[in-house]
Amino acid sequence: MFFRLLMESFRRQRRRKMLAGIAILLGTTAVTAMLALATTIGDRIHKELAVYGANIVVTPKAANLDVKIGGVDIRPTIGNAYLHESDLKKLHTIFWANNITGISPQLPVQLDIKTPSGDDTTVSALGLWFHHALTNDPGSLVTGAPALHSWWKLTGAWPQEADSTAGGTDVVAGSSLASTLNLKTGDTLTANGRMLHVTGIVSTGDATDKQILLPLSAAQSIANLPDAVSRVEVSARTKPEDAFARKDPDTLSPQQHEIWYCRPYANSIAYQIREAVPGAQAEQVRRVEQSEGTVLQRISGLMWLVSLAALLAAGFAVSAAMATAVLERRTEIGLMRSLGASKGSIALLFYSETGLLAVLSGALGYLLGSGLAAWLGARIFSGDGSAAVLNPVLLPVIIALALIVAIAGSTPSIRAALAVNPSTILREDA
Amino acid sequence: MPHLSFTGMLRRSLVHRRARSLSALVAMTVSAAIATALLTLYADLNTKLHKEFRSFGANVVITAPASKPLPPDALLRVHQAAGKDALIAEFGYAVATTDRGTSVVVAGTDFAAVRKLDSWWQVPSWPNPDDANAALPGQRAANFISDKTNLKLTFSGHPITLHSAGELRTGGDEDSRIYLPLDTFTQWTGVQPSVIEVQIPGGANTVEAAIARLRTALPEIQVQPVRELVEGESRIVDRTHALMYGAVLLIALTVAVSVLATLSASVLERRRDFALMKALGGSQTQLMALFLLEALALALAGVVLGFIIGSAAAWVISETNFHTATLPHPSVLPLVVLLNIVIAAIAALFPVRVLRGLQPAALLKGE
Repeated sequence: MFFRLLMESFRRQRRRKMLAGIAILLGTTAVTAMLALATTIGDRIHKELAVYGANIVVTPKAANLDVKIGGVDIRPTIGNAYLHESDLKKLHTIFWANNITGISPQLPVQLDIKTPSGDDTTVSALGLWFHHALTNDPGSLVTGAPALHSWWKLTGAWPQEADSTAGGTDVVAGSSLASTLNLKTGDTLTANGRMLHVTGIVSTGDATDKQILLPLSAAQSIANLPDAVSRVEVSARTKPEDAFARKDPDTLSPQQHEIWYCRPYANSIAYQIREAVPGAQAEQVRRVEQSEGTVLQRISGLMWLVSLAALLAAGFAVSAAMATAVLERRTEIGLMRSLGASKGSIALLFYSETGLLAVLSGALGYLLGSGLAAWLGARIFSGDGSAAVLNPVLLPVIIALALIVAIAGSTPSIRAALAVNPSTILREDA
Repeated sequence: MPHLSFTGMLRRSLVHRRARSLSALVAMTVSAAIATALLTLYADLNTKLHKEFRSFGANVVITAPASKPLPPDALLRVHQAAGKDALIAEFGYAVATTDRGTSVVVAGTDFAAVRKLDSWWQVPSWPNPDDANAALPGQRAANFISDKTNLKLTFSGHPITLHSAGELRTGGDEDSRIYLPLDTFTQWTGVQPSVIEVQIPGGANTVEAAIARLRTALPEIQVQPVRELVEGESRIVDRTHALMYGAVLLIALTVAVSVLATLSASVLERRRDFALMKALGGSQTQLMALFLLEALALALAGVVLGFIIGSAAAWVISETNFHTATLPHPSVLPLVVLLNIVIAAIAALFPVRVLRGLQPAALLKGE
């Protein structure tokens, strides 16, 4: 009997059920979409923030003091300490290795070059990785300077590291150097008995514009410093710094140290890099790291608060719709009561209807909302197709919210209708 | 029989079914409040986001050519050209020798300006402004000095003793330098400031315009944007903006449709009133006008309440998130009013169309 009542109510009162159902459906769609966006916004903004470049730099601990003004080395140091390029493979083994998204080692050298027009001059050059696999594994991170400096604008092609031999190598010239020396793509320079083929001109907007960029291996053999690297820039996905992150790990208790170590703070990743690479000094680049943290917090905070507002609004709207839906059926309640139905069984019938509607519309709304969030996300933040569309954690949350809101919204109306004498209701309508 | 005026009917209809009027009013208030809150936040979003990006520091660097220093009034001209919101700090650089004989870059600057511009500098305490010889040695530079509290430096034969206020940590080039007040720096080395760093709040276009003004104000001097900052900022602000836009549309639509459903259901329920009025000789237009006016009255009351609640919500959200207040924007009112009126009009007119086909007699009989 109960189930027949339930089924008939859905079959016969299609319009009313549709209205309440649409209210729940839209509410859950909006809330799902907002929550799905809010949970992924952190990663997305982080990807965008990666344009600011490395957030950790690694230098040799024993290095001499840089004498650099405006990015230009005033007294290039001789007999300096270096890191080993071969040690960089170990970055692949640290605890947060998967969070490292880019590695760019560099080695500055001086080149005595002969330009195509026959002038002799000394220029500074930088040995870099351009498109370098970190390890020999097939799935290894392929990284290099261009990936970490997305604002570098290249006309031409980056040098092919594999083409670099003792006799000749591909290079890229900085834009202001190229204009002073009158270089263009396709030119060939001679430096220390090596042919340098200019494959492109790069504009960087900083001191690198006055340099020649060449593969790291070529720079090492020109400077006669095999395996040497003077500085490594690392880009890593990190968790914004909090008070705990600033603690000195060596003063923490073993348990606390463990927790600190296993959180992707820039400080803990730098700590792990220091452990992995012998003689290395790793520091977070505070300008990038600290500011990224603030921006990330603000934007995701905004999304969460707006989601909360959406939740409240959808809650109100759905409650109001449910309240109306029950209010409309006062006659029905009066009739059932006068036919002998108990208050409890009527309430059960109404709550079952509401619950069924909430679960069905909520599930549909979850699907629609997830799709909408994925579409919006792909429209706004281009190039992240890998993100999963459906977030399974959200499904129970959304259905529970839909149930709570629908039941809370219909409760006052049901109670009110049950409190009134059935004969009053029936007469009122006659 | 007392004369039954149109407004009297309207008032009675609203007051008599108090519960129903109240729930309709709540619905209209929610829709207006949400629209107000989101639009207010949205109107302020760019300013607020650009403010957050100030923490990245200077986005324009002015460098004197190697041959000659900046003109003496350069700082003043930069202040005029960059606008009053810009953060500006001047730097002079020289190479000195430490007590251990190592070359080190010393930089003269105005600590008060740097503190605002480069908020990411980590120092145990900022130097006392009254102490002309207070200095901030970078953490790497400090390793090359024997006496870490009284820094003894020499610049081409001129010695100086600076008091360290603690080690500076930035993870950048600053770590290898020693910073001291600009006046002390120029007196000691005779070197004039050569670099001015400027933070111009705003997107790429604002920064480009400011750079153009700076170039006219300081001809022959290199004015360069910090490219990664300017580009990154515009991109992130644009994307967040687009995201908020999507959110605003989505939420507004949801609330509008839910409110519409509620309101039209409550109008449909009144088919008996409708039938009675029609039987008493009310014309279709009169009845529609009555329904419409009723809904509009509720909609406008909803706007008044909703604007207050929504502005308060926007204020709370921006206070919690951005730590700055967002004041109510009267400019969003027309849009909110329009939204509510459209919802109310559709809610009132949609059921009337359904009711038109019904026969009053049949309805009154209860069929």
